[in-house]
Amino acid sequence: MPQLGRAALLLSLGLVAYALIAGSIAAWKRRRRLAISAQNALLASFFSTAIAAGVLWSALARRDFSFVYVSEHISRKLPLGYALAAFWGGQEGSLLLWLLILSGYAALAVWLNRSNRELIAWVVPVLAAVAGFFAFMLCFVSSPFATAPAPADGAGMVPSLQNPYMLAHPPLLYLGYVGLTIPFAFAMGALLSRRTDERWIVSTRRWTLAAWTFLGVGQLLGAHWAYVEIGWGGYYAWDPVENAALMPWLAATAFLHSVMIQEKRGMLKVWNMVLVALAFNLSIFGTFLTRSGVVNSIHSFSQSPLGGWFLGFIAVCVVFSISLIYLRLPMLRARTKLESLVSREATFLYNNLLLVAFCLTILWGVTYPLLTEALRGETRSVSKPYYNFFLHSFGLPLLLLMGIGPLIAWRRASLRALGRMFLIPFGVGVVTGVALIAAGFGSSPPGLLAYTFSAFVLASIVLEFVRGRRATGSILRLVGRNRRRYGGYLVHAAIVLLAIGVAGSSSYQTVREKGLKPGQAMTVAGYTLTYRSLATKQEANALATRATVDVSRGGSHVTTLHPGKNSYPVEKMTSNEVSIYHDPRNLGDVFLIADQINPGSNTLYLKALVKPLVNLVWAAGFLFVFGALVAMWPDAVEQRRLADRYAAGAVAA
Amino acid sequence: MRRSPARLVIALSVAAALAVFVLYTSIAGAGTPQIQPKELAQHTGVVLLVGKVVSTGGDSHSPGGMRFVLRDVKADSGARARVVYHGTVPDPYRVGREVVVTGTLRHGVFVAQDGSLTTKCPSKYAPAKSKT
Repeated sequence: MPQLGRAALLLSLGLVAYALIAGSIAAWKRRRRLAISAQNALLASFFSTAIAAGVLWSALARRDFSFVYVSEHISRKLPLGYALAAFWGGQEGSLLLWLLILSGYAALAVWLNRSNRELIAWVVPVLAAVAGFFAFMLCFVSSPFATAPAPADGAGMVPSLQNPYMLAHPPLLYLGYVGLTIPFAFAMGALLSRRTDERWIVSTRRWTLAAWTFLGVGQLLGAHWAYVEIGWGGYYAWDPVENAALMPWLAATAFLHSVMIQEKRGMLKVWNMVLVALAFNLSIFGTFLTRSGVVNSIHSFSQSPLGGWFLGFIAVCVVFSISLIYLRLPMLRARTKLESLVSREATFLYNNLLLVAFCLTILWGVTYPLLTEALRGETRSVSKPYYNFFLHSFGLPLLLLMGIGPLIAWRRASLRALGRMFLIPFGVGVVTGVALIAAGFGSSPPGLLAYTFSAFVLASIVLEFVRGRRATGSILRLVGRNRRRYGGYLVHAAIVLLAIGVAGSSSYQTVREKGLKPGQAMTVAGYTLTYRSLATKQEANALATRATVDVSRGGSHVTTLHPGKNSYPVEKMTSNEVSIYHDPRNLGDVFLIADQINPGSNTLYLKALVKPLVNLVWAAGFLFVFGALVAMWPDAVEQRRLADRYAAGAVAA
Repeated sequence: MRRSPARLVIALSVAAALAVFVLYTSIAGAGTPQIQPKELAQHTGVVLLVGKVVSTGGDSHSPGGMRFVLRDVKADSGARARVVYHGTVPDPYRVGREVVVTGTLRHGVFVAQDGSLTTKCPSKYAPAKSKT
């Protein structure tokens, strides 16, 4: 079996190498049959990679410990779902997942755009080059098919990974990371083929939206996983590995907005090329961060020989993208100019600058230890206060712009029109702010601003729906006629919910901790927590110890929670098992952590957090996906309009 | 033809972003030094101490706190840092694990800030040990 896996990977490498070389020659010399042959090779590489993936999944399912990868990542007692999820639990497997998704995406993107011959001819070698790097790594640097004499049992899986989120979070993140390769390949293909009109954007709009959605949902699932599993009471720690996924998402968010300016007004062509290259290179940088061990991370992806390879690949990609954009600058001139600083395109520009500035300050923070080490000989790092400062500095104006942008006219807006459009949202924002100050929420200025701006944005979104409904007579007809626009508004509403949830759960949370004996109680934010007893139970692969804690409010019993710890004998590790009560009154949580348990004396050191509105963070995820699906849903009318526009060779000015 | 104000917007935005950045770094300083036990004696202020746990004992929620000893992560220079810590102990913490803790050296003992201990997740993406 391992031989089959190795052979399939070598075949993949050969196929993508052929697609790269033959595809480049075909595009250069305009040889149609050779170009089709290169496309077919790229398509075939997906099937050979799928065979390699099948071999690894089969070995994991059969617990074939002669595979080093299997013996190092699972054990006999590990449930089958987690055993299969170990595919992406280790370095070699996750690289194979990268290649599998990339070759699948590439095959689909090439097949769907095969009629766009000139562009696709150059897209194929770009995709093949990226796939070639990963295939090379899997064949010669980090093979998942290494073998050794099989041990009696495997090392098992880290307890914190034994969570249902392990089945969804990593693959979703990879679907997002890898998906950013498609718009990058089309952008580079457009530059190489000198077809720098908006066709490449139209071809990849849904790909970008899908990758961006996967990356966003993947991060949110990761945040929820950390929240319910890691047991520290938070969901985002500004860790380099978390930031690695946030940076390309921010760059892709900027790109999704700025392409609308290019489509509508023929502007920002260079900027869009830069953004798509930035998003792709950051996605590779994120993969590099998780594998090189060059920066300290609680996720601790150990030092490995892969870092140098990835750094080299990033350098090649950055130099290639910058050189190509520079060489094609004369073809990327804008057809129209920004007419006013008070216009929709101007607010999109402000939004872009804030998103990119935020992205780059995070990049600065992540690479700061490396830079100080290189320049000063001393490693220094920045932490939560640094990131929070820039979150407030750039995030709050971004939130405000979400309410302003959709209401401002294209090209130029008059003061009178602005007054008319913003009267209601502005009024809602001011009333909300004043009411919140009166209710005592002024203790956290960033929290207060986030709530006030959120009210303003929600009012502007509702106003847009109300005005649109008046014009069309039905919400469904309104959304159906302009899915992209109203899908975007739904996503904006999701971001507002996220902002409210984050502000509530961070700026207004209460934390208390206390050592308790059975019968003793502690209070936190109006709740009384009474520790009753301790119990131990043998589960499939762990010994579970749980405390019983009664939660009451105003003398009335609310619920009983069971925080505790699991002890994993195979992995020789212990994990915190938090217990959460979702309070429908404030959409928040009572979050209990059994920080320390002493079974001998039955004592418990209990940490309790009350996090108002935190459930809006997770609710935002559902609305985010729904809005993204609405925006992505195929629209025949829009397709015909775009086809007509490009057939006429004109961009609306 | 009149030049587009886009360039002005970009230039002003970059200047504003730089101003915010300079403001931050001048107010909040330029990061915290990240050191290993062998470098600890040379630093008097708040540092991030990175090391491997050699021995550990005590209760992190007791008045005396948890006490542990760290050595350098890579090449062991022989230097040892004695640490006293109060607060939550991460799940994967134990002897042999790599940890990061924030604090200050006082009278030969590294006094950690409460709740600042983080432990690296031990196996994910670790290189394979033996291959054929």
